[in-house]
Amino acid sequence: MIEISNFSFTYRESADPVVRDINLTIPDGAFVGITGAAGSGKSTLTYAMNGIIPHCYPGDFYGSVNVCGLDTVECDLTEISRRVGSVCQDIDSQMVSSIVEDEMLYGLENFGVAHEEIEARVAEALDAMGIADLRDRTIDSLSGGQKQKVALAAIVALRPEVLVLDEPTAELDPASSVAVYELLRRYAREHGTTVVIVEQKIALLCDYADLLVVIDDGRIRFADRPENVLEHADELLAIGVNCPRSTTLCHDLKAAGLYEGAVCKNVNDAVAMAEQVLALASSEEGGAR
Amino acid sequence: MTGFLEYVPGNSLLHRMNPVAKLFCALLISVACFCTSNLIFLACVLIFDFALAAHCKMTRQAMGLAKAVTIFSLILAVIQLLTNSTGMVLVPLPWGYIGTGGVIGAVTIILRLVAAAVPLFLVMYVTKMTDLANSVVKVLHVPYKYAFTFTSTVHFIPVFMNDMAGIMEAQTARGVQFDQGSIVKKIRLMVPLCIPLLVSSVRKTNSAAIAAEVRGFNLRTRESGYKQYPFATLDVVSLVICVCILVVAILLGVLL
Repeated sequence: MIEISNFSFTYRESADPVVRDINLTIPDGAFVGITGAAGSGKSTLTYAMNGIIPHCYPGDFYGSVNVCGLDTVECDLTEISRRVGSVCQDIDSQMVSSIVEDEMLYGLENFGVAHEEIEARVAEALDAMGIADLRDRTIDSLSGGQKQKVALAAIVALRPEVLVLDEPTAELDPASSVAVYELLRRYAREHGTTVVIVEQKIALLCDYADLLVVIDDGRIRFADRPENVLEHADELLAIGVNCPRSTTLCHDLKAAGLYEGAVCKNVNDAVAMAEQVLALASSEEGGAR
Repeated sequence: MTGFLEYVPGNSLLHRMNPVAKLFCALLISVACFCTSNLIFLACVLIFDFALAAHCKMTRQAMGLAKAVTIFSLILAVIQLLTNSTGMVLVPLPWGYIGTGGVIGAVTIILRLVAAAVPLFLVMYVTKMTDLANSVVKVLHVPYKYAFTFTSTVHFIPVFMNDMAGIMEAQTARGVQFDQGSIVKKIRLMVPLCIPLLVSSVRKTNSAAIAAEVRGFNLRTRESGYKQYPFATLDVVSLVICVCILVVAILLGVLL
């Protein structure tokens, strides 16, 4: 459970708050997507959830952030990190080792996981991310996407209660992005993990997230189920968030008076919608004759 | 293509040795090289070094390193040549002469530095940096903070070199001519680029520190390491051999 109430944060070097008046409750086991235009405060919000704010970046912290029953201001970062696993945006500087296996071991060793359990955890996490074959490779020899999977596996191996991921698919091609989301969803369901993902690819979030949070200029604009958020396509566009193409098509058809159903969030919905519209059109045509 | 101090995978005797034993052996050999000026001994150590390098298939890297060290030690050798006026007169100079003593001194310096440097570098190439750090923490009780500082430094060298290459490419694309003019001109063009490099490296080290901290850096103790580094017969034998080499060097230094 993550509870953020009246949270605002101003970095020491800036005059205005980067995020303000944030009120958000994330239930256990939820799959939450955060999106918004560049510079809207998405990363800052994740830093608040994994304790990096206020422990690593100084600034003015208002309100309260409570993660897994821990007040992030009162607990130290290590205590929070036991419960919350984070993967930041800059993958290269997150790697502490030169070999994938050592990278996997690092967190497990530090958090004192029993040595007899470590091997199974490493193998499980590597399998979960589909990178068991990379185990003995050097990190330098990996592609950007492979590095992101390694970083994810290294965190997943720690079995955190909450996963906070800042653009985990930024360097992945579309197919691998879907694969990573698929893996994350499966893993989260099996372990009851809460997942919070910052993501620009809104189509992915609409498919996977239970809760879609849209941030605009440091404030939460929408926080609802994806299909409800997508109702507001025009507003989303105005704040720099693109809708999936199927949603755009749906709104166009609605505007033309050809369709009046639920909003589409993915291709399957769009296919259903298209069939409905075509069926209606052909029956009208038949009626006209 | 392998980078600076980057682990080269293999299964040679050297690869299998205990990291701490390797480090000690290399240090013993290096110290031995500085304990005597016996040319034959130094030549033998050099041959031994290259035999080891050949054994772990790293002759090419060892040759490259030897070349680099030779060029560096040439400066010292020239000073030795010009200032050490002993032995038979070979070339008269205004302030003395280049004598056989100077020549021997110069050769000794080059041999000594190369013979001392090669084993240390071999250790870096045949040992994973994390293994070296973990074993030093586990066996020698070095605080983890220092071991981590060292591994991060080595880890970041190629990252920063990539950054610098990236910045230079970006500048080249904007018309800066790094490929023309004298070396002084090139360096003058490169100096301003140190600022973006510095900024990006401070950012990177900061996020690296955060990443380490959220993965329990502060909890790590000597017992944390999963891998064990026991001493095997091979390690003991190697250490004995290296101690013998050092003893021989000291005896040669005292007796001759």
